[in-house]
This record gives sequence, structure tokens and C-alpha cells, in this order.
Amino acid sequence: MIEAKGLSKRFGATRALDKISFEVRQGEVVGFLGPNGAGKSTAMRILTCFISASEGSARVHGHDVFDDPLAVRQRVGYLPQRAPLYGDMSVLDYLKFVADVRQLDKSTFKKSMKEVVEVCGLAGVLGKDIRTLSHGYRQRVGLGQALIHDPPILILDEPTSDLDPNEKAEVLRYIRQVGEKRTVVLSTHNLNEVEEACARAIIISKGRVVADGNIEDVRARGGRVRYNLMVDEQEGLTNGAPALAEVAEALAVLEGISSVKETPTDERAHAFTMLGTKSTDLRAEIYRLCVDKGWLMLELRRDVQKLEDVFKQLTRGDERSDRGRDLLAGDDELEDDEDFDDEDLDDEDLDDEEADQDDADEADDADEDDADEDDADEDDADGADADKADADKKEEE
Amino acid sequence: MTTTMSIAKREFRSYFDSPVAYVVICLGLAALGLVFFNYGGGFWQVDRASLRQMFVQLPRGLSWLVIPVVTMRLLAEEKRSGTLEMLITLPVKDHEVILGKFLGAWGLIVVLIGATAIYPVAMFGWPWDLGVLDFGPVVSGYVGLVLYSGAAVSVGLFISSLTDHQMIAFFITFLVLFMLHFLGNSITLSVLPEKAEFVLSFISFDTRLDSFNRGMINSRDVVYFMTITIGCLFGSFWALERRKWL
Ligand SMILES: Nc1ncnc2c1ncn2[C@@H]1O[C@H](COP(=O)(O)OP(=O)(O)O)[C@@H](O)[C@H]1O
Ligand SMILES: [Mg+2]
Repeated sequence: MIEAKGLSKRFGATRALDKISFEVRQGEVVGFLGPNGAGKSTAMRILTCFISASEGSARVHGHDVFDDPLAVRQRVGYLPQRAPLYGDMSVLDYLKFVADVRQLDKSTFKKSMKEVVEVCGLAGVLGKDIRTLSHGYRQRVGLGQALIHDPPILILDEPTSDLDPNEKAEVLRYIRQVGEKRTVVLSTHNLNEVEEACARAIIISKGRVVADGNIEDVRARGGRVRYNLMVDEQEGLTNGAPALAEVAEALAVLEGISSVKETPTDERAHAFTMLGTKSTDLRAEIYRLCVDKGWLMLELRRDVQKLEDVFKQLTRGDERSDRGRDLLAGDDELEDDEDFDDEDLDDEDLDDEEADQDDADEADDADEDDADEDDADEDDADGADADKADADKKEEE
Repeated sequence: MTTTMSIAKREFRSYFDSPVAYVVICLGLAALGLVFFNYGGGFWQVDRASLRQMFVQLPRGLSWLVIPVVTMRLLAEEKRSGTLEMLITLPVKDHEVILGKFLGAWGLIVVLIGATAIYPVAMFGWPWDLGVLDFGPVVSGYVGLVLYSGAAVSVGLFISSLTDHQMIAFFITFLVLFMLHFLGNSITLSVLPEKAEFVLSFISFDTRLDSFNRGMINSRDVVYFMTITIGCLFGSFWALERRKWL
């Protein structure tokens, strides 16, 4: 249905897409996932022949986007980001106009109009001017115009951004509904939505595909589980209070544990976060170890990595270099490696528990924000990243 | 062609969805009325000479206000608001978008020009019969106006295709059209050497329109206006295509 081969797109010095390839088969509902500035919209614009790729080729429904844009557009319903519609037209007039340009005849239009109004819930607003509608309704009208010619393929760019949770749920419901008999590609930076509406996710970051597969596979790409353990530091089961180093050492040599890190806690306890492989469950081993050593276990928890973690893991490295952390990251990572032999579980995952690391991080962020401001003019993405950095900072606090 | 007409129709109608069209038409006719009442000996003294004034003043009024207002948003506003992406990703060819927009805007101007015909009709036909009208110069004058307005609208469209800001499009269109009118003006020409005079009067709207107003339809003048129109339409097309490669 959709087939992209080595698509690249440069905007001046910015590389918006870097040789991405993917394939979407008939009937699939695919989520295009990536942080802001990853290149999702750019990819969709190429697929809908709004812009041309600098390199590579793509076919939609068997038609080349470069050679036969009209055939592609006839078979695609497209909703651009933020649903830009003619505000001075009424909803009905707008849908009529789209049908007119698509050269639907009267009876077809009537029939599909009925369906669109029903599926998108537009009955109450048909006579209203589009500029008076709420964003949620605008999004629905946008979805409606994309469906009016009953296309086999739908491409939706962030159909749920800027919506309130209720509207979001509703739009996702429409998408699921129309996706039953269509091929749908939708982009988002929200993971829950992908989990809710899509069977498959393509994660892109800095213009490259970093993961592609059904949601379960993508989640498994993280391939790790995290154990949180808390051991009383004042009292033991049999032998009295254990020393921090002693516990850490004993945990580190357990089979299947790839890293042990002490985490700060308010309680009078030693707390640790460990990483293990997903295939084995080490809780029994850890419990046994505690009993053997006579430590008083207060808490043991095993977290399977969430899609969110995978997303962060897959997209973070790029962002780091994007924010100019390359040089800093060099030393950082060395340090990390010493006491923490797996940098994959990065500090952002743990940072709420890591006070000193935070300070360093924040200082970095601040520096880079300045840098970002300097070249904000040249590169929109930097602006987005600055925002992101701010958001990160807030999170860290 | 049907696609082009759909776009043109939407564009044309959108002027009537906002006050733009009504304001433009009413103001235009009122201003023209003022010209008649105040020129020469007033309305009842009106003669062929005052009708000629209409053909001289009307294009200036159009160029300085109406056409920049009508064309400024054609592409600039669509680019800014993102509706262009919606329009272009419908199954339309780029040249159909340009042509549709051009026809929509030109259509409005032609309607306005047509509306001014009530003056000659009222004065020389019914209800007043102020004399015998020589129809030749009137008809050729209107032909000139229609040709001129096509050229002026296409200039505005081209400028609108080069920017994302409709106010910038407005000012530049205004400036360019202003210059095109006055290049051949006797005041400008008197201070310039003879060579320049020749070139400037060659590209001046006013000099070109003058022969239409005197009842002559020169093929050279027709070709002149059509060349500008087609050239600017190609320019707009090129500017629209450019988005793909930027
Ligand atoms: N028209 C453009 N001119 C210059 N740079 C652009 C343009 N469109 C997108 N970009 C850049 O391309 C990158 C990807 O943008 P985009 O595809 O919009 O990302 P996303 O939709 O994933 O947020 C960003 O760095 C952005 O700044
Ligand atoms: Mg986007």
C-alpha cells in the first residue's frame, strides 16, 4: 500500500529525513511516532506529494509519488497538522468544495456525506462557519474531508494534538472505526494513543527509523526489566545491619543482573535499582539472597519497561547530540560506565532519584538553551528542542 | 478544467463571504460618481470627455486599492495559514491552483468593471439622454480595462506567491502597480533622457491604456497586457512549485 525507500529530505542544512524506509500493508493502522521535529510531517508531506524528497522514492497504492502525484492524491485522504481549513466557509460548503475538486458526482457525494456526518459527528455544525468551531470540531471536519471520497488510504498528521482528553478519545474512536477497512497512517508524539489505536508503530527520531514493528515487538526492543529493592539499613533479619557496599556487591554478582545502582531514599534503608534481562524473573533469586544474608527486605518490585521507556531510550541519544551535548556526553558516558555498566538505562529514567546527577544535567540544559536561542532562526527544531529541554527540566524538578 | 473552475468559484465566492467585495464595489462606484459630479462642469455638463476621465481614473483606482486588496491574500494567506497544504494535496495540479485563483480574483474585478457600465448607460441611454454617444471608444475602453485588469491581477498574484505575509504582498503590489502607471507620465518623462523615455512609456500602463481610450485596439497593446499576464502566471506557478524543492 505504502512503500518508502530511502527517503531523504534536506531543508538547507537541516536534514529532516535521513534515508528512511518503511512499508505499510493493506489494512494496517500504523502509528508514526517521534518527538517534535523528528520528521513525521515531512514524511507525510512527501507521501501526499506536497513536497518532493531530496533522495529516494515512495509508492502509494502502486503509484510513484513523484511521477504520478494526482493518482496518489486521489487515493489518499490527508489531514495536515492542525487541520488548516478555510475559516470563512461553512462546514457544508467546505465539504462540498472538497467533493467538487475531487469531482464526486451528486449521488456519490450525498451518500458519502451521510456516512461522514455520521462517523465524524458533524450533524450539529454543518451550517456553522469553520472559524467559529472548537479545535475538536475542526479536527473532525478535517477528518471528514479526508474521508469524503472514501479513500483506501488515510494519512493523518497529529490528529489528536491540542485536543482535550475527551475529544482525544473521541477522535481515536473515529480513527479506529474508519481504520477497520482502510489503511491508516497517523503521526503522534503521544504513546498512549499509539497503544490505543494502532497495531504497529514506526518510531522515528531525527529523520531516521529507530524501531518498526507491532507494538509488542517494539516494546520488547527495550528487552530489559528493572528491579527496585529496598533493604533495611538499621536492622537485619539475623546478623544485624548490613553495609551498603556489601549489599551492592552481593547483588551485582547475581546471575542475570546487568547493573546495580544505589538510589536515594527518605527511609532508613538502602535502595537499589537493578537492570535485568527480560527473559528471566530474578525476584526469587533476590529474595533468596536476602534471606541467606539475613537482610530485612522492605520492598521488591519488578517493572517491565513501558513503551515510553523504549521511546525515550530510542530517541534520546539523538536529542542529546541535537542539543549540543556531544562533547559533554563523552565524559559523562565514561563516568556512567564506571559505576554503571549499562548506559542504556539512562539517567533520565532514574533522575527523580538522582539528586546530584540532576544538577549537572540542569546546568547542561541551561547552557544549551542559550545555544539554541542563537540558532533558533535557522532551525525550527532547535526551538522545539528548547521547549523540550524546558519540559525535561520541569520533569526533573 | 473543472478543478480550475471549482477553485475559481470558491475564490470568487469567498470575496462575498467577507465584506471585501461589497465594500470594494460600493466604494468603487461611489468614487466614480464623485469623479463625474466634480469633473468639468458637473454632472449635467457631462460629455464624452468626462467619460474618458472614467477610463483614465478607473484603472488607477483599481491599481492603488482594489487589486492589491483582492490579490494580497490569494497565496500569501493560504501559505501562512497552511490551507495551501490542504488545497494542494487534493488531486489538483499546481497550474490549476494558480489559474483558479487568478480567475477567481479577476472575475471579481471584471464584475466591478462591468458594474461601472451603469454610468455610460445612465448618461447616454436611459434615464438621461445627454447626447449622442460614440460607442467605439467606450467599447475599446472596456476591452482595455479588462486586459489591463488581467495583467494587474496577475502581478498581484505573483507577488502574493512570493511571500507569506499578506500585508507585504499588499504594499509591494501597490508599489509595483503605482510605478507601472506613472512610468510613462509626462512629469516622470520630462526629467529623463530620451532613451529612457522610450523604454518607460513602452512599459507604462497609462500609455498603453491611452490608445484604447482613444478608440484604438492595437495588437501591440493587447500583446503587451497578455504578455504581462502570462508571464506573471508562470512566475506564480514557479513560486508555487518551489515549495517542493526548498
Ligand atoms: N519548510 C521547512 N523549512 C525548513 N525546515 C523545515 C521545514 N519543514 C520542516 N523543517 C525541519 O525539518 C525537521 C522535521 O520537521 P517535521 O517533519 O515538521 O517534524 P515533526 O512533524 O516530526 O514534528 C525539523 O527540524 C524542522 O525544523
Ligand atoms: Mg509535525
